[in-house]
Amino acid sequence: MFKNYFTVALRNLKRNTTFSVINIAGLAFGLAVFLLIMEFVAGEWSANRFQKNYDTLYRLATTDKNNNTGYYIAPGFAPAITTKIPGVQAVVRVADGIGDGVLTATGANGNSSTQKNFRENNVLYVEGNFLEVFSFPLADGSTSLATPQTMAISENMAMKLFGTVQAAGRTVIMSNQFGNTPYTVKGVFKNMPQTSDIQAQVLLSIHTLENAANRDDNNWADPSTTESGFTNIYVQLGSNANAAAVAGGITNTMHRINSNTAEQNAYLQPFSNLHLGPDFSYPYQTYGSLKLVVLLLSVAVLILIIAWVNYINLSTVQSFTRAKETGVRKVLGASRWQLSFQYLSETAIITIVAALMAIVLVQLLQPVFNGFAGKELSLAMLNQGWFWLAGVGFIIVGAILAGGYVSFVLSGYSPITAIRGKIANSVKGIVLRKGLVVFQFSISIIFIIATLILYQQLEYMKTSNLGINLQHLLVIKGPTVSSENQAALNMAFKDKLAQTPFISKFSASNNVPGVGYNFSAAGITKLNPQKGDDKKNYFMFISDEHFFDTYAINFSQGHSFTANEAATGWSNAGKVIINEKAAAQLGFAHNENIVGKKILWGKEYEIAGVVKDYHHLSMHQPIEPVIYLPSVSFVYFTIQTDGSNMQAKISSLESMYKTYFPGNPFEYFFADDTYNAQFSAEQQLGNLCIAAAVLAICIACMGLLGLAAFTAKQRIKEIGIRKVLGASVFSITQLLSKDFLQLVGIAAVIAFPLAWWAMYTWLQDFAYRISISWWVFAIAGATALCIALLTVSFQAIKAALANPVNSLRSE
Amino acid sequence: MITLNHLSKWVTVGGIRTFLLKDINLTIGEGEFISIMGPSGSGKSTLLNILGMLDGFDEGEYLFLNEQVHTLKEKHRSQLYKDHIGFVFQAYHLIDELTVYENIETPLLYKSIKTSERQAMVADMLDRFQMVGKKNLFPSQLSGGQQQLVGIARALITKPKLILADEPTGNLNSKQGEEIMELFTQLNKEDGVSIIQVTHNEKNAAYGKRIVHLLDGRIEKIEG
Ligand SMILES: Nc1ncnc2c1ncn2[C@@H]1O[C@H](COP(=O)(O)OP(=O)(O)OP(=O)(O)O)[C@@H](O)[C@H]1O
Ligand SMILES: [Mg+2]
Repeated sequence: MFKNYFTVALRNLKRNTTFSVINIAGLAFGLAVFLLIMEFVAGEWSANRFQKNYDTLYRLATTDKNNNTGYYIAPGFAPAITTKIPGVQAVVRVADGIGDGVLTATGANGNSSTQKNFRENNVLYVEGNFLEVFSFPLADGSTSLATPQTMAISENMAMKLFGTVQAAGRTVIMSNQFGNTPYTVKGVFKNMPQTSDIQAQVLLSIHTLENAANRDDNNWADPSTTESGFTNIYVQLGSNANAAAVAGGITNTMHRINSNTAEQNAYLQPFSNLHLGPDFSYPYQTYGSLKLVVLLLSVAVLILIIAWVNYINLSTVQSFTRAKETGVRKVLGASRWQLSFQYLSETAIITIVAALMAIVLVQLLQPVFNGFAGKELSLAMLNQGWFWLAGVGFIIVGAILAGGYVSFVLSGYSPITAIRGKIANSVKGIVLRKGLVVFQFSISIIFIIATLILYQQLEYMKTSNLGINLQHLLVIKGPTVSSENQAALNMAFKDKLAQTPFISKFSASNNVPGVGYNFSAAGITKLNPQKGDDKKNYFMFISDEHFFDTYAINFSQGHSFTANEAATGWSNAGKVIINEKAAAQLGFAHNENIVGKKILWGKEYEIAGVVKDYHHLSMHQPIEPVIYLPSVSFVYFTIQTDGSNMQAKISSLESMYKTYFPGNPFEYFFADDTYNAQFSAEQQLGNLCIAAAVLAICIACMGLLGLAAFTAKQRIKEIGIRKVLGASVFSITQLLSKDFLQLVGIAAVIAFPLAWWAMYTWLQDFAYRISISWWVFAIAGATALCIALLTVSFQAIKAALANPVNSLRSE
Repeated sequence: MITLNHLSKWVTVGGIRTFLLKDINLTIGEGEFISIMGPSGSGKSTLLNILGMLDGFDEGEYLFLNEQVHTLKEKHRSQLYKDHIGFVFQAYHLIDELTVYENIETPLLYKSIKTSERQAMVADMLDRFQMVGKKNLFPSQLSGGQQQLVGIARALITKPKLILADEPTGNLNSKQGEEIMELFTQLNKEDGVSIIQVTHNEKNAAYGKRIVHLLDGRIEKIEG
């Protein structure tokens, strides 16, 4: 029996090559995209699950009255949390973003000629028990980092520094903002998996910072401080502990130790919600985006549905030509069930072939997709029991629905109707096919509109007047490996820059636009503050006197710092520059002349100038109130050139840099690249939308092509007669295309409001956004119409051009 | 075996009811051999299709083995069908994608007959109709007459109790036609198979014990 079905299926596939190819190719593409997206989803889903203590691990977060959440908590609270609160098994402090610097490995025998330097930003200061609480297995050495000046490094780092993973016991000098400190390698851990939200190449014992000598005057970094929050605190609970109760205990402890935290409440964010929140409104930060995952999943499912719809459409159409066979089989004794089974097995064969092709396609498309996703994904990501089950189950259910529908329709007709082949013209069949085409094109049009609006917003963010100039600005990272006369060297380097002919302007600052500010502070007020003014938050940015000129930031009042003010530093100079937002927030009237006026921030500061508001960060965020503090600064050097012959200029800068800052790697970036990197999420989404739109359209067109071919074939006699009666090629093309174009029109009407709603919602994420214009819809509709027209008219013209005698004779 | 009481079938075109069959009353006993004759368009195929439960009717009743056909569930009907009826189409209606062998074999597949038994039965049929050499050809590679023979072989292979044949010899030469008629007579006499055949040919019609004459959807007369 099955063999019989199989032979018939194969012979049918062979006989209708075009249909089969379109059918299988459409399905294969749909499945390939589905698989690719599932890889991504699987990766997001499995995040952190490798942690053995996944179910008992929490990240400590705080919420204040305004529902602002915080994750950087003063490390000084940790000992009390560990010892005083029942249910807490372990506390792990992790400080990221403060340790970046340069690692210097000395040769095995202290031979400095084999010494190697590497800059590394992925450096964490961690609690001694870090490697015991978290599951990062060791390749060498031991786990404990309880002793100051001990470290663990990744296999990668060990290979880079020592050429071997057997690095336990070796010494590395870490040069960062806390000076040059030697560390002993205690352990080498296997490279952290991609699915870990905690990522590091280097783990330094946080206990190192307990010694003031290892902090280099950065007293805020004292691990016993309860004032400056610079660590993430992870808490492991006992298996019976109640997270809410423990969080309550932590809140009380914090309030007791430091009354400044009185308005803050502790919350324990479970590891299961660390990467993806439980729902869209989860107020705490997550590493991944549930929205994105759901969005991608919807795209994947939609594409797969489009592909199946195509399959249904083409198969029903094609099997109408096989209606006679169905009828005859019924007469020969086939039950409805047996007939259904036959069609199902055909669907199964096609699905299996398509699935195999899809796997090949996935292999081919993987690099491109990984580029889009910005991740190293592969089919191996799917290697988790339930994903296979769900994926395969989904495909089987889909195949059964698609194939089942076809078989159900066909086997339902009475044998004589089927044998006479009148099904194709039945009202049911026509409405169904039209409905499916409308469905496919609606989705295609939605994707086109989404793509257009997305790129419009992206373009808007990139090209709007930011209020600053980022062109031809090269940014060099300042030295982190310091020597004794570092301050003098910095100044000498600046002097050298000033004398270099190809540098038209330069400045030094402690951060740069598109990356961030230096810190935020409250308690800044006018001399006569209103109540509550001291609670307002300001972003502080540290730079020298040339910063505004170099970035072409305009002053609405006053002027930049003087060289002398920068040299003495803000505290001694008593001068600040503020932006218009800050002026307004301080309570100064619009256009009030405030140069020379004083503000309070612990002591009095004089306002030297007011800069016009500009987009320091991308248009996702509103412009913040900013206060600029003068300093010599040497974290970033921004250099303006004419932009020509950059390669030579960069290498000449590099050799300058190396002479002034030996031991420091020369690292640079272009200011505009870094600024634009803020849009990478939208860029990715845009790429995804384009890909989805193209795919949806392609698959939909395949279906349309099939339907058009079928219609042309069905009406071949009519066309022949019309031609004999004198109809032109154009009028026949029109006759055949009209119906389909109407369908695309209906699809557009359905798609427009849906697309508008979706994109309106998406745009709400941006503080500065475009308004949706009508022509986007016009373009999307017209595009879909043109593509459909091309597809259909190709068939129609072919039919219209055919010799009428041939077509008439063939009937 | 078959009783038709006041059976009518019509189509409504442009609000006007056109009768394809009108007030047919007919009783056919088990083991009968009946021929249906009538001019082209008189409703012979329509009647045969209804008898074969391939098509519905609009009025009256049809009892098959004392069961009301129009109230039967689809499943039961196809079961009755599978067990009792072999149908020979006027237009052969072979399955284009299957070879001669496979076409003849198909009804057996639906009866879930074991492979070895099936092979023997098909081989026997091929032999009886002298089609052994053609067994791997597709219908499109056969002449009209050969296709008709395959159609007959396919109807006979399940050893049905009732054979419904719509002009089974229309495309055969007179010698072949006679052989088929002899075969039918033999099945009728020796195995007690009931046969209802539609034919234009007086000589072939005479093989039947009774001849039903149709005219414009009515029974004009019944001979014998
Ligand atoms: N679905 C239908 N709609 C309208 N008329 C129909 C339909 N089916 C059959 N007819 C008409 O019913 C009449 C009887 O058709 P039928 O096929 O039974 O004739 P027949 O006696 O078998 O003729 P022939 O000897 O040519 O095979 C014909 O006039 C035909 O046009
Ligand atoms: Mg007929």
